[in-house]
Amino acid sequence: MLVLSRQRDESIMIGDNIVVTIVDIRGDKVRLGINAPSEIPVHRQEVYEAIQRENIRAASLAPEETRDIGGLTSK
Amino acid sequence: MWINTTRFGRIDVDSADLLNFQSGLPGLEQCREWALLADAENDALGWLQSTTRDDIAIAVVSPRRFVPQYQVRIPRSELTPLRLHDIKQAQLVVVVSKNNKGLTLNLKAPIVINLEARTGRQVVASGDLSLHQQLDHTLATLKKSA
Repeated sequence: MLVLSRQRDESIMIGDNIVVTIVDIRGDKVRLGINAPSEIPVHRQEVYEAIQRENIRAASLAPEETRDIGGLTSK
Repeated sequence: MWINTTRFGRIDVDSADLLNFQSGLPGLEQCREWALLADAENDALGWLQSTTRDDIAIAVVSPRRFVPQYQVRIPRSELTPLRLHDIKQAQLVVVVSKNNKGLTLNLKAPIVINLEARTGRQVVASGDLSLHQQLDHTLATLKKSA
């Protein structure tokens, strides 16, 4: 991992079209601004990884397992 | 165009009906082209079948059929790659999965489809939504005992 120190309002460039800017620093929380082409998804890592795992799990679903879905509901 | 699938055998899909997911799906980033199929037995269900991986298909449903109050806030930056200006132009489906209690819906990361442009993308909706919203038989059981 490349580790750089930045202060508020300073930026990092990733490749030639992604810019990450430190927007605010308050206590132990950092607000980051990300400028990236719209086709590049940008997400909090833990959310993205959870979605990845969920998709991989969903991709193992077989039609037989969905037979009674019509009668189901959600609370 | 004929494609091989492990669930549905060899099927013929119209190239004009295919959907292009520019970024694939999280976890399935290499799968960029999908066919949206109707389930033969269940009109509530659709299947996004990868045209390049015969074993990869994702079951999807229209969320409001199961969660009538489902509403999403999707950031504009998520809609732009789909060439959508308004979420109302989009078709929204959610992924069906399973856990040890039964079937679940991913309400947190719906799949947005622009039917006109034939593009799609899985987006992260804002708010406290579940990745594994449990579906159960509650309503069906109530109907039986009435």
